Amino acid sequence: MIRVSVVIALLAALLIALGSGSSVPRADLVVYNGQEPTTLDPQRLSWIPDMRVARVVYEPLVQNDVLDWNATIVPAAAETWTVSEDGLTYTFTIRPDARWTNGEPVTSEHFRYAWRRGMLPDIASDYAAMFRYVRGADAFYEWRASQLAAIERGDSPYADGLELWQATLERFDNTVGLRAPDERTFVVELREPVPYFLDLCAFAVFAPVYPPLVDQYETPDVRTGRLNRRPGWTRPPAIVSNGAFAVTDWKFKRGLRLEQNPHYWNRGSLNVRTIDLPSIGDPSAAVLAFRTGAVDLMVEVAAPYRGEIVRDKLGFRADHASEVERLRARGLDTYAIDASLPDDPRNRAHIIPAFGTYFWNFNCSETLTDGRPNPFSDSRVRRAFALVIDKKSIADQVRRLGEPTADVLIPPGSIGGYAGPEGLPNIGDAATEAERATIVARARALLADAGYPEPGAFPITVELVFNKDSGHDLIAQIIAKNWQEHLGVPVSLAQKELKVYREDLKNHAFVTSRAGWFGDYADPTTFLDIMQTGDGNNDRNFSNEKYDALLTRARTTTDPRERLSVLAEAERMLVEEELPMVPIFHYVSMYMFDPAKITGMSEHPRTKQNLFLIDVLGDGVGADLPRPMKPRETGAMGDEAGGSGG
Amino acid sequence: MTGLILRRLAQLPIILLVIYTVTLTLAWSIPGNPLENPEGRRPSPEVAEQMLRQYDLDSYPRFYVTYLDRVTGLRYVRDRMGGEIAERRDAAEAAGFDAPEQPVFDFGPSLQYDDWTVNEIIAGSLPVSITLGGVAIVIATIIGVAAGVVGAVKPNSAADFATLVIALVGISLPSFVIGTVLLMVFAVWVPLLPVSEWGSARALVLPSVTLSLPFAAYIARLTRFGMIETLASDYVRTARAKGASELTVLVKHALPNAFLPVLSYLGPATAFAMTGSFVVEKVFNIPGIGQHFVAAVQNKDLFLIMGVVLVFAGLLVVFNLAVDVLYRFVDPRVG
Repeated sequence: MIRVSVVIALLAALLIALGSGSSVPRADLVVYNGQEPTTLDPQRLSWIPDMRVARVVYEPLVQNDVLDWNATIVPAAAETWTVSEDGLTYTFTIRPDARWTNGEPVTSEHFRYAWRRGMLPDIASDYAAMFRYVRGADAFYEWRASQLAAIERGDSPYADGLELWQATLERFDNTVGLRAPDERTFVVELREPVPYFLDLCAFAVFAPVYPPLVDQYETPDVRTGRLNRRPGWTRPPAIVSNGAFAVTDWKFKRGLRLEQNPHYWNRGSLNVRTIDLPSIGDPSAAVLAFRTGAVDLMVEVAAPYRGEIVRDKLGFRADHASEVERLRARGLDTYAIDASLPDDPRNRAHIIPAFGTYFWNFNCSETLTDGRPNPFSDSRVRRAFALVIDKKSIADQVRRLGEPTADVLIPPGSIGGYAGPEGLPNIGDAATEAERATIVARARALLADAGYPEPGAFPITVELVFNKDSGHDLIAQIIAKNWQEHLGVPVSLAQKELKVYREDLKNHAFVTSRAGWFGDYADPTTFLDIMQTGDGNNDRNFSNEKYDALLTRARTTTDPRERLSVLAEAERMLVEEELPMVPIFHYVSMYMFDPAKITGMSEHPRTKQNLFLIDVLGDGVGADLPRPMKPRETGAMGDEAGGSGG
Repeated sequence: MTGLILRRLAQLPIILLVIYTVTLTLAWSIPGNPLENPEGRRPSPEVAEQMLRQYDLDSYPRFYVTYLDRVTGLRYVRDRMGGEIAERRDAAEAAGFDAPEQPVFDFGPSLQYDDWTVNEIIAGSLPVSITLGGVAIVIATIIGVAAGVVGAVKPNSAADFATLVIALVGISLPSFVIGTVLLMVFAVWVPLLPVSEWGSARALVLPSVTLSLPFAAYIARLTRFGMIETLASDYVRTARAKGASELTVLVKHALPNAFLPVLSYLGPATAFAMTGSFVVEKVFNIPGIGQHFVAAVQNKDLFLIMGVVLVFAGLLVVFNLAVDVLYRFVDPRVG
């Protein structure tokens, strides 16, 4: 028996030795990023948490100053740039001291290579459409896709895949408007003026990659001609990147360690030496890790915890109401106010408006998927249904996250210089029963007008489709009750798995459904494009000639002010007349951090956080000075009207 | 014995092929496009089509064949004979880089985690689950045998009753309850141990104890009944009559025989602890392989589903074989 015990003891020692690695000391800053990055390949980015990491690791030509209320474009890898008078040619000058993590200079050819990847069907970038503003990119993509198809059918003019690849490179050089006349000059020719093009250039998808490395992992297949992509180059030890921080360790589902890029040109501006991005799979474990101090900053908080956290925060703000008012009057912004209040665990949560809107879709197709005529193809019906949704109840009683109700699609104040429409009222706005009755009467009149004077005889059961989780069921129940009670139409709820729900929406196989949208860049089109006829994200199948014409007009309008007013008219059509969807509320972002300790976080409703701006106060590393939002310019957009919730 | 092992090994490929076919067919029928970010912008139809084409996800038969070609190592052999692997390595060396690795049994890329291959994911998480399961079984054996012996020495005493009750609780309480309670007590209220990290012996304590409890409870019961029976047997009475001390009787004479049923239970228990720790991994945020079972199916990450299932199937077959061999080794009456 003693022998058995010895064996067991040895086994235990061995297993423990196996399980224990050398423990690395805690980083200066530990950030919970919500989920493990799915990729750090710039051109393959799709998820917001991935982009948050990618912006720290890679540096695009320019970037947004997220601590400025206008999110101004400032130099990054490019030192200067010029735009031709017709707005079609952008010439960037790469800074001489821009360096990769291996010390090699960042050149214009590297950007050209990365953008070519964005234009290749083989890479299948989610954001391929954004590269199509470059002259010739569209035709290049189509040509390559058709050649790949030809090789598969066996009627390709090229002998094999390698030959096709050579031809592809030549075609790219000759037809696509990207040039690198010297190492530091990068010239981009657009097919049409894109007023927000610099904002796109600040998008992580437009960041450069290091070609000598990527070439090892992406090789054309002799047989199919496609690039064979092998993973591995986005991780240590292989990764070569050009951002403020370098990835020095990445263990799958355990987390990433970032350290300052020793060759970064602006290293003096960095205020932490190391950043840890632990992967915490369980949302409650993440909250626990924050509460025990293992995590300094949470940029995502799981839904089940949000309600309680918001309630605490609102209670805290209420306890210090007069102080908050005094600080606000002095012109302080949300985080600065929080930092001035007494220390309190309830004050670790920060709620700021986000660049996204929750809305309810109507299927606008002439017929439903089962062939029956669709009453929602009539905008009067859609308007009637929109009027009787009690948005206030949804935001205040179901969500309870301090999200402002939405009457428009584009979050107010999120895009500098853009003044959106008012939107329709809804029964939740009514101060009195009489006002409420007036709105309901208006909705019923619209229904009668559309040919449904007897609501009980509405031709279809109005189905509300939503995906399970995240409390969409509660919202659907309120909306269904509103419609049933005020319009008297039959309703039914349909809860689906996320993937099924996504497929149904894509195929327009629904009557009404929940939906939401986050903008990508600082222009109204980032929201408005998805309502265009035939757009890949037009789940509503909304098609309106006048609306499409407005967007086309905006594309050709060179005066920025006039262009924005054309787009405002397009949004007005959407939210006041056509209602292919009903905006319900604008999302908010929730962050958890000690405001007296962490600084450099953005409050801009674009919700872009640049983690390389963060300073941990009092740690003796970096400037250790508060980095608040820059003062607002007088008359600038983005007032507290967005509702800071705090 | 050798015949048995050979027979079982010969069955392995057939079993795996059946599992491959059934799993792939089921996984294929999960609705949705695995390459689409379910919360984001939808790629244009042309891009979506190219994405599917890239991974042969547009045709079940083509996927079935090409993936089989990959996982069985046939493609590797072909590439190796054709010199392609050497060619790539030379090209990478010329450029000053390490060539991307090409495994023999290639489970393909993860669809959800673009930057990782399934081989890397399994290689990173399987040892974690094996460590956790192995330590848990060791703890379970120590606690279980000790408790069982205590109970058997004085049957129906307070100590016996207490161990039985604890064993019952250990079996009936789900591990997410035990885990959460342990976490609250030892990591939050009395912060002795870390909440969610992996990589140190300290971090291993709470999860392995949590995982071990149901096993410990069962082992305690097996030991107790085994010991009670053995202590009543003639040879134990003889040992006592010869004047052996009570401790010698218990440890040297009775326990080895009473341990036999525990040993036969340990085979399947070890397999189960190493593969079934999903809940514990979740509660303690441990980067083991269990999490991939659920997540891969939710994400329709075909390659990862196939990789994890095939590796597990292989492991289980091997474990079962080992247990069979062990039975014959320990108890000559069998076989």
